[in-house]
Amino acid sequence: MSSRRSRQQSSSTRISDDQIIELVSKLRQLVPEIRDRRSSKVSASKVLQETCNYIRNLHREVDDLSERLSQLLSTIDADSAEASIIRSLINQ
Amino acid sequence: MNHCVPDFEFEMDDDEYPMPTASGLPRQKKPSLPEDDIMELLWQNGQVVMQSQNQRPQRKPPPDRYTDSVIPAGSSTAREIRPSQQLEQHYQNQHIFMQEDEMISWLHYPIVDDPPLDHNFCADILYPQSPTVNNSSMQNPDRARQATQLRQPSRSVAPRPPIPPPRKPEQVQTMIPNFAHFSKHNARVEAGPSSSKAAMKESTVVDSCDTPALMASASRVSETFRNTAERDEAPGTLSTAGAAAPSSTSVGGDTGFRETTTCEMMAMSSPEGSSGGVEPARRPPSEDRKRKGREADESECHSEDVYVESAEVKKQNCGSSSTKRSRAAEVHNLSERRRRDRINEKMRALQELIPRCNKSDKASMLDEAIEYLKSLQLQVQMMSMGCGMVPMMFPGIQQYMPTMGMGMGMGMEMGMNRPLMPFPNMLAASAMPAAAAVAQLGPRFPMPPFQMPHAPQPDSSRMQAAAPNQPENNTLPSLVTPDPNQSRIPNFNDPYQQCLGPHHQMHLQFMQNQVTNNPTVSKSNTSKSHENAENNQPGQPE
Repeated sequence: MSSRRSRQQSSSTRISDDQIIELVSKLRQLVPEIRDRRSSKVSASKVLQETCNYIRNLHREVDDLSERLSQLLSTIDADSAEASIIRSLINQ
Repeated sequence: MNHCVPDFEFEMDDDEYPMPTASGLPRQKKPSLPEDDIMELLWQNGQVVMQSQNQRPQRKPPPDRYTDSVIPAGSSTAREIRPSQQLEQHYQNQHIFMQEDEMISWLHYPIVDDPPLDHNFCADILYPQSPTVNNSSMQNPDRARQATQLRQPSRSVAPRPPIPPPRKPEQVQTMIPNFAHFSKHNARVEAGPSSSKAAMKESTVVDSCDTPALMASASRVSETFRNTAERDEAPGTLSTAGAAAPSSTSVGGDTGFRETTTCEMMAMSSPEGSSGGVEPARRPPSEDRKRKGREADESECHSEDVYVESAEVKKQNCGSSSTKRSRAAEVHNLSERRRRDRINEKMRALQELIPRCNKSDKASMLDEAIEYLKSLQLQVQMMSMGCGMVPMMFPGIQQYMPTMGMGMGMGMEMGMNRPLMPFPNMLAASAMPAAAAVAQLGPRFPMPPFQMPHAPQPDSSRMQAAAPNQPENNTLPSLVTPDPNQSRIPNFNDPYQQCLGPHHQMHLQFMQNQVTNNPTVSKSNTSKSHENAENNQPGQPE
């Protein structure tokens, strides 16, 4: 029992650890801030923190871009293809 | 606080000076004091003169101006500035200070006084041991004694803060009456131990007006003094002598000198030391403690350090190897736990950011986070490109639609999108993995570009078909963005599809089929129909 539990725990822990390590490395590659700096040793919490910040920044960018596109939409002919493109972009 | 120094000189004589002090309580009580015939011991012309506070109403305005904000500081500084005539002011200040909870750093002021004064000065401070114990009870008399003692030596010692910070207004009141007593030497004895304590408190108060700090410093200073005193002589004797010394200007007796010597050393060091050392010493530890507490709460990065520090401190305190090992283990566990807590917290935050994330498993949640991040990046890229592209309206863009044939479309597109050249490549590259990911994840991140080809031939219909899917598309719809002409959107895929091998195209088409419900399900048919649709566009099929 205990061995099984420990095995399960260890196996799950091992899996989780490996997965987490892999995922953290993936995230690290995606987040430019971490990728650019010397990333010999970046803690998982740091990566997660940077990812959260990065996602928030991207959200903000998306909002800003959506707003800009909306403004552009108003300036061009609503029936044009560009308008449709812009609309599609905004509606994403 | 030093700014007001000049003004304070006048304030010293004021009864009201203390009244408009920063703390309301003292002020309120202060008015009552004069009525109670508070006798102030003023140092006038080298003599201690007792005056009722009522006699000095002068210069109220100046003090009032500064009292609220600067009283403690100003008075202290003022004292410093005026060595001799300040005695009176000192007394007044003392009263003020007595009422003020804030104590000033009379220690700051360089003690350029005569040795005897210093001795007296230090004596009180140096031998706080007993006073420390009796402090609570003796506060009032102590302060009064302090004031008295301070007054006498204050002639040369300008900055001597008149009275130990009157922690409580009521004490101040009590002090006032006692103040009169202290002009006599008899008061010294009783005042001695307590005065020293009070003095100690005063000294400890030094720069900071914080009572707690004072207490901390006071305790520290008292310890210092105690050690010093003990080293030299019996505390009681010293304190008494010290108390006696200040009380009488003429005290320069052996005991006084002995103490003075000690006191002098202490005084020299204590004022600076206490001001410099005590305060800094006092503050850093408390600050460190506070900092540690804050860091533990705020900075996750430092929490481990904090734990380590605390653990180390404990280890040091215990001093046993076994304890150290256990402490080390504890520290390790604590740090590990902190680390895990931080990571979990970040994971939760990340989960909140990701839309429609219902995964409880860490790994899957991280997977989704990765995909979402990619799609978000793509989206931002597309939108920014769109923002840049839309203003650049190519007049004859429509005619390019038909040219978006197999190879032509790509060439045209590349030509048109010259500035965006890198982007399409990026999109293609990212589209592939994104497409794969999307296929895996299901419709969560549908890829509109793939949907586009599946739309009916007409561009408008294609657009309409794509439009409903747009809301669901987080990533690849943006691929369409760069094309001002929506008809080019499908072509967008075509060039890349053509770039890719036929198997890739089939793969893409297949994935598209999986992702979206397209009338054209067959892989080959899709591409062919797509191409046909392109060719059928109003334009020149090629």
